[in-house]
Amino acid sequence: MPNDPNRDVFRAYRPVWVSLRSFACFFLLWWLLYLWNGNPLQLPSPVKVFEALWGLLREGEIAEHASVSTLRMLTALCLAIAVAVPLGFVMGLSRQAQQFIEPLVEILRPISGIAWLPLALFIFGVGDTLPVFIMFYVGFFPIVLNTMAGVKQTDPRLLAAARTMGVGPLPLLFYVLVPSALPTIMVGIRLAFAGSWAAIVAAELIGAPSGLGFAIEWYRQLLMTPKVFAFILAIGVVGYLCDLGLRALQKRLTPWAEGVGVA
Amino acid sequence: MSTHADATKLRLTSVTKSFLAPRTGNTTVAVAEMSLEIQAGEFICIVGPSGCGKSTVLNMIAGLDSPSSGRIEKDGQAITGPGADRGVMFQDYALMPWQSVEGNVGFGLRHGTPGQHLSASQRQERIAHHIDLVGLRGSEHKYPHQLSGGMRQRVALARLLANGPDILLLDEPLGALDAQTRLILQAELLRIWGETAPVSERKTAIFITHDIEEAVLLADRVVVMSTNPGRVREVVTVDLPRPRAGTARTNPKFGLFVAHIWSLIRDEAYRAIGGAASAGPASQQATH
Amino acid sequence: MMKHTGNESRTFSIVRNLTLPVLLIVLWHLWALALPTGSPAPTPIKVVQTLGEMLGKGDLVSATVQSLGRVLTGFSVASMLGIVLGLMMGSSQAVRENLDPIIESFRPIAPMAILPIAILLLGTGTPTALAIVAYASFFPVVVNTVHGVSRVDRKLVLAARTMGVSRFAILTRVVLPGALPSILLGTRLAMGVAWTAIIAAELAVGAKSGGGGSGGIGQMMFVFYAYNIDLNAIVVCMTVVGLVALCIDHIFKMLEKRLTPWRQEI
Repeated sequence: MPNDPNRDVFRAYRPVWVSLRSFACFFLLWWLLYLWNGNPLQLPSPVKVFEALWGLLREGEIAEHASVSTLRMLTALCLAIAVAVPLGFVMGLSRQAQQFIEPLVEILRPISGIAWLPLALFIFGVGDTLPVFIMFYVGFFPIVLNTMAGVKQTDPRLLAAARTMGVGPLPLLFYVLVPSALPTIMVGIRLAFAGSWAAIVAAELIGAPSGLGFAIEWYRQLLMTPKVFAFILAIGVVGYLCDLGLRALQKRLTPWAEGVGVA
Repeated sequence: MSTHADATKLRLTSVTKSFLAPRTGNTTVAVAEMSLEIQAGEFICIVGPSGCGKSTVLNMIAGLDSPSSGRIEKDGQAITGPGADRGVMFQDYALMPWQSVEGNVGFGLRHGTPGQHLSASQRQERIAHHIDLVGLRGSEHKYPHQLSGGMRQRVALARLLANGPDILLLDEPLGALDAQTRLILQAELLRIWGETAPVSERKTAIFITHDIEEAVLLADRVVVMSTNPGRVREVVTVDLPRPRAGTARTNPKFGLFVAHIWSLIRDEAYRAIGGAASAGPASQQATH
Repeated sequence: MMKHTGNESRTFSIVRNLTLPVLLIVLWHLWALALPTGSPAPTPIKVVQTLGEMLGKGDLVSATVQSLGRVLTGFSVASMLGIVLGLMMGSSQAVRENLDPIIESFRPIAPMAILPIAILLLGTGTPTALAIVAYASFFPVVVNTVHGVSRVDRKLVLAARTMGVSRFAILTRVVLPGALPSILLGTRLAMGVAWTAIIAAELAVGAKSGGGGSGGIGQMMFVFYAYNIDLNAIVVCMTVVGLVALCIDHIFKMLEKRLTPWRQEI
């Protein structure tokens, strides 16, 4: 029979099947390495890691640290958006403002957020503010630069068309410039998130009393390696889910911008 | 200066536009000493070789640019900037990609001056009426990237008309379309403009095109421009009877108008593409 | 109303570019003047003095060189691996299907998250730093290489096939040059990420190993925070970090231009 229903189902779910197979190979490799290494404190067995993960999930510890980290990240991101988007608009609309402000931005940008850690530790001390500050700093640059770029590459024809319809300057800003720049701004926000999420680990590892980064370091010092791995996994998963959420937001806010992808 | 001057919808007096290149300091004269009077309800086509300033003139009438010297007056008043009374249809449609068809057609009504004195339901009605007028009923919620070129052009037309301007400025609106769609839309345009209605009910239209046949088909008068610098070479009155949509092309005078206008432009057109016009059989026929 | 910005003199634009930064430094100095004399807070003048001292002692330069050395080593290993893997993934659906899930799963896991594992496995010295840098550099290279391969005109590959060119030769002679612009972009991004990663790694390792000998400028920064508290020195280090990042980026941009002069702006 040419149309074997089993084979059709198989084909439809092929990507899932391939992913599962890849992960299975990966875990097998890991297990073999564990056996070869022989030191469970250094490289624990995948089984132990999953046990630890399951235990932590049940106790709610992962949820606790994950929510702390995620909350900090959201705070930082919102702050960065609140400051960087208006600034980006100003820089995009006024050549003079751009030429005045951009040099400072370009001087600060190469000094990565991580490099600010010692100074920031001195100013803010260990606690909640430190990770938020570092993440704000890291997230600020992609957003301001992308906003500026988005405003500048607004099709001048659209502005001309709106003006010939008697649209005044303020409606021009809100109903033409903002929607036009929005796809690029969303890309900037996704970049900002990726950078911030990477920075949060460093910030919490060194300078916070809670959160996923802290947890990794805490359990490492206790040599409870399976838990370390479990938290690392959690970092990856939360990061992936947040990016998924941002991608969905991007799709919802800017449905007309197909194919605006981020590397 | 009585009723004759009152009927002049648009008057250009010695309009000159020159551009100063910032780096080299060279001045390019795009339009030189152009004077033109357009009556209410007229359909004017402007043709000419590339670079003769056609779009520049349109931009100045639209108020998107201002003349270096000379005056442009509408209804006796100088033009100071863009406005909804002079609606523009652009070459590449200039539709807002984030708005649906309905949102685009209603954009001026919702965010500009045309709809200020209307209630929300009146606006809705007007939007729906114009979408229907251009034959796009059923596509209200589609986005521009989902539409074909011809459909996008119709959205642009509906948007233009929904804002109720008394002068229509059209910058090569059909240029990006395939030939068959163009033929259809030319007929549509004439119908919507009011070819079958009395002159007093027609809008004033200024239409820029490269296509000489299109110009002769649509216009009451064809303004033929020459380039370097841009100026009016001749204004040809096309006295073909209306309605023209189905019948004009078979009228023998149609071909003569086209040939005459081409003879005015031909040499410059050749020069524009880097060649020289030969004194062959084509030129002999044109001077007949 | 027309601004002839093209006619601006160079000195005017340089002055204008520096206005805001200089203004901020002046404000900083004024703020520092209002501080009590024993305060450890950094001031512009003391920063410059400290810079002089550190250059004189030579440990600023040696620390920077050490960090750079680690970056280059980790980066080289990671980019070679990344390019090879990327080329294979880009040209073979099978390879891509199988490796993609793993790579995409690790991508959201920041280099710093791997640090504790690296410390457990490799201790608190140079190997750990190298591992972090390599991990960080790997992803931009592989992602951009795959992207670069996908942009190679399929017809070129087919043409080579019909001429009997071996698969390996196609990879090296057709696909690799075609993907080169994207690959170079990936290496530039990777270098930037690697530099950030080394600073972070050295900072964190410095914090955990109690100021011991892992070296590098990140380590030095931490020492100035926790041991020989000197905020001015920290500011000097931060500036150096920024300058080096700028230079790296600049060098790689020039490399891109040299090696792929036909490249259009992506």
